[in-house]
Amino acid sequence: MTVSATTDEARASHVGIKLNNISKRYGDHVVLDDVSLNVEPGTVTALIGPSGAGKSTFLRCINLLERPDSGTIRVAGHTIEPGKNVSARDLAALRRSVGMVFQSFNLFPHMTALKNVSFPQQRVLGRSKEEADERSMQLLERVGLKEKAGQHPGRCSGGQQQRIAIARALALDPSIMLFDEPTSALDPEVGLEVLSVMRELAADGMTMVVVTHEMQFARDVSDTLVVMADCKIIEQGDPRAIMSDPQETRTRRFLRAVLER
Amino acid sequence: MDAFSAVLQGLPMTLTLTLSAFAIGIIGAVPLAVALTSPVAPVKLVARIFVDLVRGVPIIVWLFLLKFGIQIGTFKFNPVSAAIVGLGIVSVAYLAEIYRGGLQAVPRGQLEASHALGLPQSSTFFGVVVPQAFRIVSPSIATYLVGLLKDSSIASTIIVSEMVFQSQAFARQHPTVEGILPYILVGILYIGLSLPVAYLSRTLDARMRKAVFA
Repeated sequence: MTVSATTDEARASHVGIKLNNISKRYGDHVVLDDVSLNVEPGTVTALIGPSGAGKSTFLRCINLLERPDSGTIRVAGHTIEPGKNVSARDLAALRRSVGMVFQSFNLFPHMTALKNVSFPQQRVLGRSKEEADERSMQLLERVGLKEKAGQHPGRCSGGQQQRIAIARALALDPSIMLFDEPTSALDPEVGLEVLSVMRELAADGMTMVVVTHEMQFARDVSDTLVVMADCKIIEQGDPRAIMSDPQETRTRRFLRAVLER
Repeated sequence: MDAFSAVLQGLPMTLTLTLSAFAIGIIGAVPLAVALTSPVAPVKLVARIFVDLVRGVPIIVWLFLLKFGIQIGTFKFNPVSAAIVGLGIVSVAYLAEIYRGGLQAVPRGQLEASHALGLPQSSTFFGVVVPQAFRIVSPSIATYLVGLLKDSSIASTIIVSEMVFQSQAFARQHPTVEGILPYILVGILYIGLSLPVAYLSRTLDARMRKAVFA
């Protein structure tokens, strides 16, 4: 009994996600063609590939910001079939377990940094203002922005805004974090601040799925590299192996374009 | 100063018409704006037709229709209630269109972030969308209020004794050059009433901008 309880607990803090046969089309235009991905608990998966490959759409299908036409999503004991009706309970459970960080940050501009991080905690988890603010300050400190707590996002740099957005997502204690090109809107130097926060998260054992064009990050931090092209996953595996010896011509062409410039 | 006191007699009615119609509009436009942005096609269509119908007909026509065209049993509108209902319905339609513009001007990413965070619908609407939409539309609302203040003078045509009606009455009794005086005074009074609205709106807008960007 005790043994199973502890293993359950261990599993709870490290949650993976299984996506099977995800397909999505807009009218006649196919965006995702039968894509399956298994994200092991506590690992970092980097999604790379040419633009238009369906990386972002696939990522957004994981938390149902996009509704796939078919397939199944298994996360935290819930099985969701987005092609059919998704119950409000399953949707809430899914979004409770999965946090997301966007390319354009999407902070709430009318709230201070602190309120940005606290407001969802109060509304989603029912924390009191004091509890929420305390947790927010911890997280803002963790991303190095404690002194920005009282500022509105408009007064913060892009890198700072993205770190606040990471704190906001983390405040809901997600088991999995999705990153949709988190540094693409930032200049390279500022992007580093964000990447270093993400490296720390990865080191702490957070399960992460990252759509990125940062090849260095993908190589050094990710456990699994997934290459997408033409609405499919064309190759996946150890990032170093794929980057030094890609099996597919399409992968080789893409890597040459991003690495040898 | 006879002319001035004549015009002043209409002031309470002008304010009553304007504020009542504005109150009806401000509140009534909320559900209509939500309907205008509804993903449910029939709901959206009905709202759209209502707005276009109301806005497509001049206010003076609405007032005449309400005052003289409606009789249910023994019920008929008296001039004041016809004016308030007419100006109120028109305000609902115009303000709903203003709100709709504001709601749709809130960036999509704000909704996506709210969904991704799992915020309940009510928190998303009232905590995220409405405050941002309000910042966007508050100057337009003030502009509408100033317009409504002046449009309330149309009620004089259905014998509501507001400021313009009083001016006309005075002018009829003084068919000399003095008859023009109340119109000059009423013009000045309208300006005097509009300025504080415009000023308050600008102050509010500047303060909200400062809160967000400073």
